[in-house]
Amino acid sequence: MRCFVQRVMTDREVTTDLKQLIPDAAMRRRMSRVVKMAVSTAVECVGGVEQIDGLDTILTATGWGCLADSERFLRNLISEQEQLLNPTPFIQSTFNTVGGQVALLRHNHCYNVTYVHRGHSFEDALLDALMRAADGQGAQMLVGAFDEMTPSQHRIMERMGLFRTWKDGEGAVFALLTACQTEHSVAEVAGIDFPSEGLDAAAVHARYATDERTKVIWNDWSIAGCYPTASAQAFRKAVELIEQGTPEVIVYNAYQEASPAVIRVRWVG
Amino acid sequence: MQIVVSGVGVVSALGVGVEAHLEAIRAGRSGISKEPSVLRTTHRLPVGELRLTNDALKEQLGLPADQTVSRTALLGALAVREALADAGLQPHGRVGLVSATSVGGMDLTEHFFAPFMADDRSGRLRAVKMHDCAASTEWIAAQCGITGYRTTISTACSSAANALMTGARLIRHGVVDCCVVGGTDALSAFTLNGFKSLMILDSEPCRPFDEGRAGLNLGEGAGYLVLQRAEEVENPYCTLAGYANRNDAHHQTASSEQGNGAFLAMQEALQVAGVEPDAVSYVNVHGTGTANNDRSEGVAMRRLFGDRVPPFSSTKGFTGHTLAAAGGVEAVFSALMMRHGMIFPNLHFTTPIAELGLTPVQQLCEGVDLRCVVSNSFGFGGNCSSVVFTK
Repeated sequence: MRCFVQRVMTDREVTTDLKQLIPDAAMRRRMSRVVKMAVSTAVECVGGVEQIDGLDTILTATGWGCLADSERFLRNLISEQEQLLNPTPFIQSTFNTVGGQVALLRHNHCYNVTYVHRGHSFEDALLDALMRAADGQGAQMLVGAFDEMTPSQHRIMERMGLFRTWKDGEGAVFALLTACQTEHSVAEVAGIDFPSEGLDAAAVHARYATDERTKVIWNDWSIAGCYPTASAQAFRKAVELIEQGTPEVIVYNAYQEASPAVIRVRWVG
Repeated sequence: MQIVVSGVGVVSALGVGVEAHLEAIRAGRSGISKEPSVLRTTHRLPVGELRLTNDALKEQLGLPADQTVSRTALLGALAVREALADAGLQPHGRVGLVSATSVGGMDLTEHFFAPFMADDRSGRLRAVKMHDCAASTEWIAAQCGITGYRTTISTACSSAANALMTGARLIRHGVVDCCVVGGTDALSAFTLNGFKSLMILDSEPCRPFDEGRAGLNLGEGAGYLVLQRAEEVENPYCTLAGYANRNDAHHQTASSEQGNGAFLAMQEALQVAGVEPDAVSYVNVHGTGTANNDRSEGVAMRRLFGDRVPPFSSTKGFTGHTLAAAGGVEAVFSALMMRHGMIFPNLHFTTPIAELGLTPVQQLCEGVDLRCVVSNSFGFGGNCSSVVFTK
């Protein structure tokens, strides 16, 4: 199974005005920070809001979901003793909010799924995209990952001792993928694997590399910090390396205690 | 490649296991109680609550009472264990698990949060370790010995139907040989208050598809199915012949007037199954009992089936709305109805919705030959999914 990367970008690369990316003012107002961050990255990635019309697959991935809204609703529930609560943060707290909002922007009725499997949510979404492509249902696919930091999440994970080695992180990464190669294809997603045990760099190379110039990159959280779907940042970096001339890049992701996930990205030639 | 259901497991307000469910449904006994007894809340609203404490659930799983586990994971493990035993399947490295949840470990987090709000050095960290959705999936997999590919899906109330769909596709594409699919969600103060704040909870037992319906009753539960290739199974419940996921793309929480998402999901799922709408024997509707859902779903059925809408019922009068688990619980119900030749009734119905004129099955039917069953699950974010089972 394979598919092609037309474009991939992170929230830090979004340059278009938010009002253009999310034209509906009421929608913008209700969106939390992470939803705005992810939806704006998604819209810029597909090339503007009208381009949502052409999508036949919308896949999102998140480890934590919309934490700030979940927390806001929970805090209100506790402090107001379950009385007269504002439903907006509850409505916006569901894990599929970002995928739903992207579809809603242009009333796109296509396939729309959200994977929430901690450290390999992004790889799960990519695997789904590969299956869609293989089935002839993935002509234009949007696949993205997002997670947000909040003060409470930071404090709790700090107490768990998780930031002794790595700094906390957050971010959104979206990719526009196609089943067929086009003149705009910048890389090929050549495969995904979920090995049953951890591998070192030599083992990763031996098992997955098909070229002696293949680079193996570790999801080491140096790009945007440590968060569940940070491997999407490493995927972004892999595509960049391909664009700079590396024929093949293997992204190896072992987030905390999770079982590893491997993405193989190749030059399109 | 034909994919069949080889085992099922279910937990809900009706009890633990298939037998408890069949017995309650045959007796016409609803699991909806007047108010919560296990869940800690100030609300006195009817809920579909499994009247067993977490300690009692742990005991059933042979676990010590002091182990911190989310209720979502406990419910899920009981249902997955039953499904695997029912299929006679010993998990191995090529058996996968696709599990759905929307609540995750929120039942533990909400107890952690009150002391944490007062002082950020307080609150037992053990209680938030299971907050994320994947925690329940991984814990269930470990309990049941599932070591193959595992993932978690969360698309609100359509989640488990999507888990069925993903599981079937994983088998088709050779990612796994066999897959346990379904969903689990426990009652939590978070979701009860969420739906309360949206003013869509009925203060009486829910009345799906009734003109006077006034909202849903929240429920909890877990429903899982074992999916395998047809040639590996001797006496399957049914074939998972079709599935589709479409988005209503109308509003974050409300369904469209025309029932677009529901219509497209049912239509495509039947196309995938290669079944004409006329050949559908029964529809297990999403039928939450809210004014908006039932009207929208009814419009979609009228659009698809015209004046020949097949027998249909919502089973939420028995279980309440089990959110992300609903698609799993109701897929298990669909498989059971097909095997036993039954149609589970739609409780508390008196008057059809005037503009639709649709009357659900109100009495338990036995001795029916169900050749093709459609099960619907719709959710926030516009997610609409339908699955089709055939015999």
